[in-house]
Amino acid sequence: MSNGIKILFGAVLGVLYAACGLLQVVQAIFGTMESLEALFIPGNIFSGSVLLVIGTVFLTGVRKLSIGTEEGMPFIYVGILFSVGIGLVELLALCALGADAYLVGEWADWSAADAVNPLLYLAVIGVLGLLAWGKEFFRGARAA
Amino acid sequence: MTREIRIALTGNPNVGKTTLFNALTGSRQHVGNWPGVTVEKKTGKVSRNGCEFEVVDLPGTYSLTAYSADEVIARDFILDEKPDVVVQVVDATNLERNLYLTTQLAELRTPLVIALNMADMAEAQGNPIDYRKLSGFLEIPIVRTVGTRGEGLQDLLDAAVKEAKTSPHHEHTIGYGNEAEEMIAKLTDPLSADRTLSGKYPLRWLAVKLLEGDENVLAKVRGGAASARVQSILSSINSDEYEATMADKRYEAIAAILPQVHRTNTRGTTFSDMVDRVVTNRYLGIPIFLALMWGAFELTFTVATPFMTVIDTLTVWLAEFAVASIEPAWLGSLIGDGIISGVGAVLIFLPNILILFLILALLEDSGYLARAAFIMDRPLYALGLPGKAFIPMLIGFGCNVPAIMATRSIESEKDRLISILVNPFMSCSARLPVYVLFAGAFFGAHAGGVMFFLYVLGIAVAIASAKLFRSTILPGEVSPFVMEMPPYRLPTAMTSLMHMWSRGSMYLRKAGTIILLGAMLVWALASFPYGVEYGSAESFAGMLGHLVEPLVAPLGFDWKVAVALIFGFLAKEVVVGSLGVLYGAGEESLTDALFADPSLSAATALALMVFVLLYMPCVAALGVIKKETGSWKWTGFAVAYGIVVAWVLAFVVGHLAPFFIGGA
Repeated sequence: MSNGIKILFGAVLGVLYAACGLLQVVQAIFGTMESLEALFIPGNIFSGSVLLVIGTVFLTGVRKLSIGTEEGMPFIYVGILFSVGIGLVELLALCALGADAYLVGEWADWSAADAVNPLLYLAVIGVLGLLAWGKEFFRGARAA
Repeated sequence: MTREIRIALTGNPNVGKTTLFNALTGSRQHVGNWPGVTVEKKTGKVSRNGCEFEVVDLPGTYSLTAYSADEVIARDFILDEKPDVVVQVVDATNLERNLYLTTQLAELRTPLVIALNMADMAEAQGNPIDYRKLSGFLEIPIVRTVGTRGEGLQDLLDAAVKEAKTSPHHEHTIGYGNEAEEMIAKLTDPLSADRTLSGKYPLRWLAVKLLEGDENVLAKVRGGAASARVQSILSSINSDEYEATMADKRYEAIAAILPQVHRTNTRGTTFSDMVDRVVTNRYLGIPIFLALMWGAFELTFTVATPFMTVIDTLTVWLAEFAVASIEPAWLGSLIGDGIISGVGAVLIFLPNILILFLILALLEDSGYLARAAFIMDRPLYALGLPGKAFIPMLIGFGCNVPAIMATRSIESEKDRLISILVNPFMSCSARLPVYVLFAGAFFGAHAGGVMFFLYVLGIAVAIASAKLFRSTILPGEVSPFVMEMPPYRLPTAMTSLMHMWSRGSMYLRKAGTIILLGAMLVWALASFPYGVEYGSAESFAGMLGHLVEPLVAPLGFDWKVAVALIFGFLAKEVVVGSLGVLYGAGEESLTDALFADPSLSAATALALMVFVLLYMPCVAALGVIKKETGSWKWTGFAVAYGIVVAWVLAFVVGHLAPFFIGGA
C-alpha cells in the first residue's frame, strides 16, 4: 500500500471524526439540532471530545505524511487502533443496553438507534484500516 | 533430611522477578508491566527434590546504593539477612544495564545465580545471548528462564542448591584504576579494625561504597572503631567523582564482555516506538490519556448494567422473602432490611468493579500506565510533584492502600509525603458504587461522563493540593523523574483476568466483613429504641443524623445522608450500604427511592459524589498513612484537610451545578 492511500484514509477519517466531534460538543452546549439527530449525532460533550481527539491524531499523521516525513505513519496506525478500540467500547455498551432492556422487560420500547453514535459507526471505517495495515503495525508486539 | 534454602530474588525493576516468584512458589502476587510494582518483600515456599526453598521476592533496584525506601528494603535484605543464595533476575533484552547490578552483587561474595529472564524475547528480537559463555566470563551460574511460561524453573532451583553448597565464594572484583584502588586500600586498613563490620561485610565492598559516598554504609561505620580514620580519609576526597569513575569502570568491564556473548541486531522502528511517538506526544499525550479514561468509565458503567439488573432482582427478591417469611419479625427485618439490603446494595456494583479492574489490568499489563506517568511528568513537575508520583496516583484508582505503599519508590522524603497526602483524593474503587448509584439515578445517559468528571476532579484536586503543600508546608525542589519505559506487550487473558479477580475478590471480602458489619450497625441504629418506626427520625440513626445534619445541611444533605457519610469512614462502600438500610431497599428500589426523595436533586447528588470523593480516607487508608509517615500529625492532617476541601468543593458544586444542569 502506498502512503498516498494512507494519507487519503487518514484525511477522510480525521475530518469525519473532527467534524462529528465538533457537532456533538456544539449540540451539547447550544442544544439539539433535529437534522443532526437524524444523522445519529447526539449532543454529548464527553464523547464529542473523544471524537475530536481521534480526529486530531489522524490529522496530525496526515500533516506529517504530506510534508514527506514518515513520522506521520504511527499517528495513522494509532488513530486506527484508537478508532477501533473506542468503537468496540460503544458496541459493547450498545449490546449491554439491549440486554438490560430485555431483562427489565422494556425490549419492545428499546431501539438500537438510540445508542448509535459516530464513535460506533466511524469505527467501521477504522476496522477496514486495521484489516489493511494491522499486520504491518503489530509486527513486534509480543505477548506479556 | 530435608534442607531449607533461602533464596532472595533481586534485580532491576520490571525484569520479571514477581512473575518468576509466582511461577516458582505458585503465589499470585501482583505483577505489572512497569517499574516499581513490588515495594515490599514477599515470601513464598516451594519443595523440590527433598529441598525446602523459601523464596523472597525483593523490590527492584538498579544498584546496591539505595536511594528510595523500596531499594533500601532490597539492599538491606541481601546485606543483613544473608540469604543462602541470591538469584539476580536479568532482563535478557537489556543486558548491559542489568549487569551493572551484577558487578555490585558479585563484590559481596554472596552465592549468586543469574536467571536470564525474557530470553525468548531477546531471541525473537534477533539478539540471542550465549549465556554459557557469559557464565564463564562472570564465573556465575546462569540459567535461561521465561517466567511467564515457567521455563527453566527446575534448572534455576538446581543451580541455587549447587551454589548454596559451594563454599567459599571468592570475590569478583573490578579494577577501578590506580587512584581509586589506592583509596580502597587506604580505607580497608582502618575498616579491618572494626570487628563488627569486618565480620559482616566484605571489606573491599565497604571501602568501595564509602568511596561512592553511600550514606547507608557511612551510617554503619559511624560510631565504630574505624569511624574517625575513615571520616578523615573521606573528608579529603570528592565522592561524586569516585562514584562516576567507578560506574564508568563497571560499564567498561561489561562492555568488554558483551560483544563476545551477545549479537546486537540493529532494528528499525518497533511497535513500541511507533505507539510511543503518538501516546507520549507533547500535545496529544494528555488528551489521549483522558479519552482512554473516558472509554474506561463508559465501559464500566454501561457494560455492567445487565449484570447489575440480575443481582438487583435477586437482592430485592431475597430481602422481601426474608422480611416476609423469617420469624420473629425483628430477625426477618435484620436479615432482610439490614443484611441483605445493606450488603446487596453494595454487591450490586461488583460487575462495575470487575470491569474497571479488568480495564486497569489491561492498561497496566500492556505498559500504557508507565506512559501515563511519563506524559503527566511535565504538568506535575510544574506544580511541584515528581512524575513518579503519578504511578501511585493511578494505582489509587484501584485502592488507596497499596497506592500509598507504592510511594516508597519515590526517593525524596518531601515528595513522598506530598504523594501520600494527596493520594486519598484519587477515586478508589470503593467510591465507584456511590458514583454509579447517584449518577445512574440522576444523570441517566450522561452517567458515564459524570463518573469521568469525578475521576478527573480527583486528579485535579490531588495536583492542586500538591502545589499548595509544595509552596507552603513542604517547600523544596522537585526530584527529576527518570523512568525506564517498558516495551508494550499484548496482555494475556489469563494474567489480566487473574489481576481482575485478585482485586475484585477483595471487594467481595469487604462485602462479607466490614460492609456487613456496617449494615448491621446502621440497621440496629435505625431500629432502636424499641418501638420506634424503622429508619425514622426518632431512631438512634435519626438522632445521630440530626446531630450532624447542621454541618452538612449547607451542602443540601439531610440526616440520612449524614448517617451514611459517618459510616462511610469504615469503607466508602458503606455509604451505599447505609443508604440501602436507611431507605429499606435493594439498589433498584434504592435508585427509585433516592430519585423520589424531594430533598435530593441532580445538583445535590453531584455535590454528594464530590463530597464522598474527597472527604476523608477510609480507616484502612488512614492506617497505612500512619504506617508510612510514622506520624499521627500527618495522619490527622490528611483527615482534616480532606474534610475541609470536600466541604468547600461540594458547597461550590452544589450551588453552581443548577446553573449548568438545571436540576436544583
